[in-house]
Amino acid sequence: MKVEKDPFEIYQTPQLHSPSLIVGWQTQDIGKLGNGVIHFLNETLGGQEIAEIKPLGFFPFGGVKFKDDLVQAPESKFWACEKNNLLIFKSDEPVFEHYQFLNLVLDFAQYHCHAKELYTLSGAVSYIAHTRPRRILTVFNHPELKNRLQGYGLEEMTWEGPPAISSYLLWVARRRGISAVSLWPEIPFYLATREDPQAIKLILSSLNRRFNLNLNLGEFDLEIKYQNEKIAQLRMKDTEINKYIKMLENGQSLDEEEQLKLVREVYELLK
Amino acid sequence: MGIKLYRKPELEKPIMFVGWPGIGNIGIIAIKTLKGILKAEEFGEIEGWDFFYPRKVSIKDGLLEDLKFPSNKFYYQRLEGKDFIFFIGEEQPTEGGRMYASGEKAYRMANSVLDVALKFGCQRIYTSGACVSLTHHQMKPRVCAVISSKNLIWEVKKYPNTIFMSEIGGRGEGEGTITGLNGLLLGLAKKEGLESICLMGEIPDWLSGVLLPYPKASKSVLEVFAEILGMSIDLSFLDKMEAQIEEMIESFYAKFPPEMKEEYDQRKFVNRVKPGTITVQAQIYIDERFKKGGDEGGERPI
Repeated sequence: MKVEKDPFEIYQTPQLHSPSLIVGWQTQDIGKLGNGVIHFLNETLGGQEIAEIKPLGFFPFGGVKFKDDLVQAPESKFWACEKNNLLIFKSDEPVFEHYQFLNLVLDFAQYHCHAKELYTLSGAVSYIAHTRPRRILTVFNHPELKNRLQGYGLEEMTWEGPPAISSYLLWVARRRGISAVSLWPEIPFYLATREDPQAIKLILSSLNRRFNLNLNLGEFDLEIKYQNEKIAQLRMKDTEINKYIKMLENGQSLDEEEQLKLVREVYELLK
Repeated sequence: MGIKLYRKPELEKPIMFVGWPGIGNIGIIAIKTLKGILKAEEFGEIEGWDFFYPRKVSIKDGLLEDLKFPSNKFYYQRLEGKDFIFFIGEEQPTEGGRMYASGEKAYRMANSVLDVALKFGCQRIYTSGACVSLTHHQMKPRVCAVISSKNLIWEVKKYPNTIFMSEIGGRGEGEGTITGLNGLLLGLAKKEGLESICLMGEIPDWLSGVLLPYPKASKSVLEVFAEILGMSIDLSFLDKMEAQIEEMIESFYAKFPPEMKEEYDQRKFVNRVKPGTITVQAQIYIDERFKKGGDEGGERPI
């Protein structure tokens, strides 16, 4: 399937000055982190939709997906937050031609908007209890950016295995001389398929500090409180669930059956 | 086109051997083994990022160190007046979720390999793959050949244990398709005036959908390569892998229902067996058992 000759649909040219690009993915969005962070930033900072990458060549068109009765068409959109000098990109992960797609993301950021650095957002499924403090695991594509972001409370990741699209984007960015970092907040495995407001708040706090965004994150405190209370009620009602979460809090491991029960019960609870 | 040559060895009319993964990995095992025996040295590659999704990321102390793509490498060796180039691709580029290489990427990949062949003055290319046939797994696999020109008929007829595809049972009028890059490269090479020969090791039809290597057929192909090169090759190091695979195959075979087994066993005595219900039954039986094997799980990508 051929990608279109002009792969961008550009709605407006934003007034940005060497902005930072923030990228989130809505496919396999652990803890709904990418969606949550980007939605909040756009709503709060008045993000204007400025362009999109046309889907032809990157996504299959043998029909359409739907979720919760809603049609899900693949989207790859850019927003500009001019006041805060941020360029935001949110997309489904392409199914085909990943290299070309990632280069297009950077083409738009680099040539249309003169972006200087890149931040990707993804959740890291972790074996922790939701009551424990979360870390932000990080991967940099350049030591200079790593040095610049010292003091932000970021934990350095060490890992080998199959690459996620964020890691792939970091690699493509390095080839093009763009400094980039992937932020991977820890998300308890039993919240992976649900929204994790604590991880969303953690990332927003970090971006708030980095870009002086002056964000009011109070609404997340309510969501975190509400979610914690619901899980606390479940723990009171179900002694096994309570035991499993306590084991996680004490750094003990759960067997497969225990993990499955915890995932299932929390999934149903937070429906 | 993403061809990177680290050095330019001086080669005289080299023969090129090309291998990609495929059914039973018959071709790639044969080509890799030959490359190893001849101690061929790496001299170039086709950069993988335009063709493949990366396989592995290495992150250390918060720094992205490397991203590894399936490799597509060229090797060479000069031996007593015979020069060789090997190309080994770890994966066939696919488009649109297809199983075998096809479309623009496959065309570009095959042309890149051919560019290197032409650059070094290759006159002949060998590819290798699998020939799915109505053979029995306890029989020695034959090698089935397809050639680019009639001039090669007499030469190929001299190869040991080798038949032409037209001579194999259950195929109409000797027609067929060599899927994937092993086939595509033959066609492109022919257009450029190069001699090309595809040597395919036989694999029983019911094993063609099973994700297991079939080294027994690779051995047959290697025996032909040894004849072509006029050298003896000690293939005993493949025995261990072959024995392990045979054991697995035998355990499936042992569970065949008696009537299916009886019909299947006729293949040992009949040269040309027409496809019957046994093929489908056996395939379903095996597929179901492999499905039951379950998901290996694995790590979540970072």
